[in-house]
Amino acid sequence: MALDAFQKRRERQTLLLLLPALIPLVILTIYPALYAIYLSMTNEALTGLAAAKPRFVGAANYFRLFSDGRFWNALFVTFVFVVGSAIIGQFVLGFISAVALRRKVIGSPIFGAAILLPNAAPEVVAGFMWISMLAGGDHATLSKIMMALGLPWTDWLQTFPLFMVVMVNTWRGIGTAMILLTAGLSAVPSEVYEAARMDGANPRQIFTRITLPLMAPTIFLYMLISTVSTISVFGLVYALTRGGPGNKTEVISVYIYNQSFTAFQIGYGAAGAVVALLVSLTLGIAYVRSLKVEV
Amino acid sequence: MNRFVAGGLAAIAMSLLAGTAHAQTLRIALHGQAGIDAFTPTAQRIEETLGVDVEIVEYPAPDKDYMTKLLTELAAGNGPDLFSIPSAAEVADMVAAGYLAPVGAELAAWEPYKDFVDVARDLAVSPDGETYVMPYILGIQQIYFRRDLLEKAGISTEQPKSWADLLARAKEIKEKTGAYGLLFPAGTSWGGGAFDEGFSHLLIGSSAPQIVTEDGKFDLSSKGVLDVFQFYKDLIDADLMPVDPLLGPEPWVIPKYEMFPSGELAATTCGSWCYIFDWGRESRNPIPNVTEVVGTWADPGQESGEFVLANLGAPWAVNAKSANLELAKKALLETGSIENQIETATRIGNIPSSNAVQSDPRFQALTELVPIQAAANNGTYLKQATGMSVVSEGVARATEALLRKETDAAGAQQILIDHVRQTLGDEALK
Repeated sequence: MALDAFQKRRERQTLLLLLPALIPLVILTIYPALYAIYLSMTNEALTGLAAAKPRFVGAANYFRLFSDGRFWNALFVTFVFVVGSAIIGQFVLGFISAVALRRKVIGSPIFGAAILLPNAAPEVVAGFMWISMLAGGDHATLSKIMMALGLPWTDWLQTFPLFMVVMVNTWRGIGTAMILLTAGLSAVPSEVYEAARMDGANPRQIFTRITLPLMAPTIFLYMLISTVSTISVFGLVYALTRGGPGNKTEVISVYIYNQSFTAFQIGYGAAGAVVALLVSLTLGIAYVRSLKVEV
Repeated sequence: MNRFVAGGLAAIAMSLLAGTAHAQTLRIALHGQAGIDAFTPTAQRIEETLGVDVEIVEYPAPDKDYMTKLLTELAAGNGPDLFSIPSAAEVADMVAAGYLAPVGAELAAWEPYKDFVDVARDLAVSPDGETYVMPYILGIQQIYFRRDLLEKAGISTEQPKSWADLLARAKEIKEKTGAYGLLFPAGTSWGGGAFDEGFSHLLIGSSAPQIVTEDGKFDLSSKGVLDVFQFYKDLIDADLMPVDPLLGPEPWVIPKYEMFPSGELAATTCGSWCYIFDWGRESRNPIPNVTEVVGTWADPGQESGEFVLANLGAPWAVNAKSANLELAKKALLETGSIENQIETATRIGNIPSSNAVQSDPRFQALTELVPIQAAANNGTYLKQATGMSVVSEGVARATEALLRKETDAAGAQQILIDHVRQTLGDEALK
């Protein structure tokens, strides 16, 4: 009986301790998400009759969404963007940087700082900066380099738009990947490496049989964070291309923005946002469950 | 010590008195740096005449972003007191949303309004019969062509008689000069321009020149609409129109500000502002002797006829939920002043709506615009209806699909119909 009372008091205390975190979570995350689900079942708009008198339309927005080729294109572009920039680009280069920085070589602090620098630039500023590098014409940085080499200039954002967007996002995210993976590398006990070396393991074996397995929880935690955060990247892509040319770089976040705030269809845009939320949630749960990572 | 305290109190009292001299503040939203520059003297006049402070919410961004910001603020109930609307196709929908205050009574009682050309006053009337905007300037649009290039290549500069004639002229330009023969704004990046500055030029001369029916529905399945999309397709398929720039984020920059002045594009739809802002004295890339070098054709009809497209140029409106409604309405009248009309014409090149400018030496100095203003009443315009902004977006999406060669004319028409049906419901369509 006394134990029950003690447990109940502990539960109340725990709840009280969680409240400062729970209240903003409910107000700023859960309520807006539920409201977005409600909006997605209306024809709410920013202008026109639907702005004054929105109607409940049930699942009509979802039927429309799934029959919209542009939505499927946005999902495909998002897939390429996430795999290309977060999973391949940022991870591989971030991991190489983390490993390189562990070695005490001359200039490694400068190298580390240089990799972290892109994080200091706000998304939109970074986007405009890259436009000045990649745009066509005589004045863009890359065009000048090409012309100095006797080659014709190219408008890289028009010719290879998705590749360029992937590259810029990779550039911007290497620093974060490097920090997380450096923390993971530091957590691997040095005794394990020493034991492996004494047993005659070569560097490749050490990497594949010690470093990678022991880093797995960190790597997959990074994958979870970077996948979900890359799905929601908006400012960088919008500043660079606004989703164009055509819809070639229209990732899901830009698609949602375009439907909600360019075509002014808030309800329809909300349906896209709900689907994006479900995709992110599914991926997150899949990561956590399949790899039994403690988050 | 007491003297210091008394001095301090006196200073505070004086600053408070100075503050109450302009007790109320009017928030005015504007877009585009040129528009902001043109409006600054009017803002000063509003302050002096009405005894208020004017806070200009500067938003020198593309029209699309401006509309996003404006509509979001209006929907949230914290919009500016007074604002300009860059695309006339947005007006009917903003009225339907309840964002705009009716100003018909104020305009009717305002003496200078009687001098406004009929076209401007007609265009200002919304589908419900009330007036919600100050139609202080007009967009008078035609096709602008490089006379010098055509003459040099031995190509006729005579007015094309039909769409077929116009297309043949564009082909001849491409063959003889290598330049793109004709540009009609298209695609989603151009925002309302795909409709206002592109599609409308052809529609008014088609077999179905109005898409709004008597009962306010949209007739989008007509052969006229199909033929308009076919004209776009013919231009694109024959590589007569620059496509790639139209798919970029600011699609007007390369064709209008670079290709046309350099002669890589020989003809484009445009308004009178092209003689001032795009290639004239206010341009960053001006064409010398622009009125001689660049000629104009009226929009030819599909089979025959000549049309000059007229629409409202960024009309002013009052926020229906303004805390300073009466003051804002008085300020609205100031936006329609002759001074503001001429200042806007000087900076941007739109056509003043008031015939009174014809006797003003400041306007007479704008020799490019004087004859266009005198003929403004000959302009043809599209009937407006609630849902027009959705049609405008549908046209942008349909023409984007044509630009990307993803569909044919019938497919583009279906994209337009589907977009309007999905957004407004079956009841919006005839």
